[in-house]
Amino acid sequence: MILLKMAFRELLIHKKRSVITVLLCAFSTALFIFVNALNDGSHKQLIRSSAETYPGYMQLTGRAFEDNPNYDNLIFDTPRIQNILKDQKWISAFSARFESYALYATDEQSIGGMFTAIEPESEAEVSRLKRSLVSGEYLSSKDTNALYLGVEFAKRLKVKVGDALSFISTGADYSFAADHLIVKGLFKTKLYEFDNSAAFVNKSYFDEVMHSTDSATHIIITPAEISQIDAVTQRLQKVVGGEIEVKNYKMILEDLVLAMKVDQIFSYITLAIFFVVIFFVVAIFAFLSVYARIRQIGVLRAIGTTPGQVMQLLLLEALILGIIGVGIGGAASAHATHYYEEHPISFGFWGDVEIEEYYKQYNMVAEVTIPTQYNPPKIAVEMLIMLMLNLASVLYPMIILRRFTPIEAMRHV
Amino acid sequence: MKFLTVRNLKKVFHKGSESQTNALDGIDLEINKEEFIVISGPSGSGKTTLLNIIGGLDSPSEGGVDLEGTLITELSENDLALFRRKNIGFVFQAYNLIPVLTAKENISYVMRLLGCPKSVYDARTLEVARELDIDRYLDKFPDHLSGGQQQRIAVARAVASKPKLILADEPTANLDSKNAEKLMELMRRLNEEEKVTIIFSSHDPLVIKQARRSIVLRDGKIIEDVVCP
Ligand SMILES: Nc1ncnc2c1ncn2[C@@H]1O[C@H](COP(=O)(O)OP(=O)(O)OP(=O)(O)O)[C@@H](O)[C@H]1O
Ligand SMILES: [Mg+2]
Repeated sequence: MILLKMAFRELLIHKKRSVITVLLCAFSTALFIFVNALNDGSHKQLIRSSAETYPGYMQLTGRAFEDNPNYDNLIFDTPRIQNILKDQKWISAFSARFESYALYATDEQSIGGMFTAIEPESEAEVSRLKRSLVSGEYLSSKDTNALYLGVEFAKRLKVKVGDALSFISTGADYSFAADHLIVKGLFKTKLYEFDNSAAFVNKSYFDEVMHSTDSATHIIITPAEISQIDAVTQRLQKVVGGEIEVKNYKMILEDLVLAMKVDQIFSYITLAIFFVVIFFVVAIFAFLSVYARIRQIGVLRAIGTTPGQVMQLLLLEALILGIIGVGIGGAASAHATHYYEEHPISFGFWGDVEIEEYYKQYNMVAEVTIPTQYNPPKIAVEMLIMLMLNLASVLYPMIILRRFTPIEAMRHV
Repeated sequence: MKFLTVRNLKKVFHKGSESQTNALDGIDLEINKEEFIVISGPSGSGKTTLLNIIGGLDSPSEGGVDLEGTLITELSENDLALFRRKNIGFVFQAYNLIPVLTAKENISYVMRLLGCPKSVYDARTLEVARELDIDRYLDKFPDHLSGGQQQRIAVARAVASKPKLILADEPTANLDSKNAEKLMELMRRLNEEEKVTIIFSSHDPLVIKQARRSIVLRDGKIIEDVVCP
């Protein structure tokens, strides 16, 4: 108790030093928490926009489809699986796709590209395909001969909404399939390659011309809770059986997840360098404060204060400053991350185009407004780390003190 | 068994070098309970060194110090701190009060380390403060007190926890003669009323004559040890 009182008084006497230490500590804590929250937020958003643009959070395929993506490895009992999925409360939406290739022909030219069947209504719930519409209309489940085409692909084919073209492809039974199509709508995502080669038709129409009734190459699934995705993946795998493979975005977007990990590490390194500087400033203050009191500490030791109690005194001082600093910094940044989670920060002033171009090289989807991720348990851990760092700043002064016997310390001026 | 026994105490500084100093050169000493002893001698004769070793603040090069059966020269750093806390009260030439504590807190500090309950150390602090006539200054910080007042508080701090032995190294050196005389009177009274053993060092003949036993050092040796009339 008396030690606590002494620690408080010592800090009050050296107000300037205490205030600077508290401010440095508050500032670095706030920065640490906020930068991490922004990182998490941008990564989460990157995942979301990348997954939602087209690949989806989870997908089912035939077991051998990944190695041999051909008609022998399809999901052949789509209705049965869709029935199973319907009853799972941890799934919020699902939709079947059939991905194939076709040769598209206009009067002028023929170009190869993707020819993919979607279930228009449920597809709108598992990807942003519908929202990516830029002209004409999105598909409906009653459509026949209607094509939903990427804008870049349309440019190559030199067609616009309402124009006719025809396709030739191989049906699911390896029969010859061909028909004419009318461009119903054009879409534009932020993935150039995708816009340049993708084309969609209504699945029930597709199943007729391609003889693919009840078959699908993929079933795309959105889990109810994205944070629970690993558990959902495991449970789903049990439910659908061994013939079907369940994957989630961490496997589908493996490169992206890896890129984000690298990004995270670099961000930690940058922060670490910054903290080393701040840590030294705080440690120097702690050192000066102890150095100026070596004599007084000698007296304390002489009249019966043990070395352990002297250590306690110094730790108490650091703890008081740390708790105040980390408290202020933590509270401020918790408030900020909470606020910016709902009001994403706009980085538009860096130039939308440049950011998009930058991400395009990695085939990622860029966003210019980034939300922070408010995560109280993580903030608590980060505050604790900062507090520990603060306590570590008295380590060196304590080592110095150990070199002095009480009388040496008392003779010190 | 004697209260305090000092046996063949030697202290060598800078051993083996050109500046080797034999600060203490074979001191033998026996002290009884409740004695009031002055150690005098010229500058550099070893007074401070002797008091420091008796108080467990410094270790001898040779020999030992035994206080009521505890061989203090054998204790570890941590045990020494606990030993000093429990058995020794120090009064320093430079007062050495803790600046962040009030007079009252300075006086009760050791009792608090010893784990006394608040009611006990508060009452004792007041008692000692009255004896030393400093009860008016109890809530002041050392900075706001004169040298004489500070030194009386330092004496109060040394005596409050009822240690077996009080060691005072030139307690009056920084005081004017009036304050010095007053402090010695108080110490003498404490010795009688509190029955505490006191050893102090001094240069000042006026102070020295207050003691009941006088030990004179020269070059680290005892050259005189007399009981005063
Ligand atoms: N830490 C030390 N290192 C080296 N020499 C020391 C040290 N402390 C004391 N000495 C030497 O030991 C001798 C005795 O010193 P000490 O301080 O005990 O004398 P003193 O009688 O207290 O003198 P004073 O009256 O000046 O206080 C002196 O020669 C001094 O220079
Ligand atoms: Mg001396």
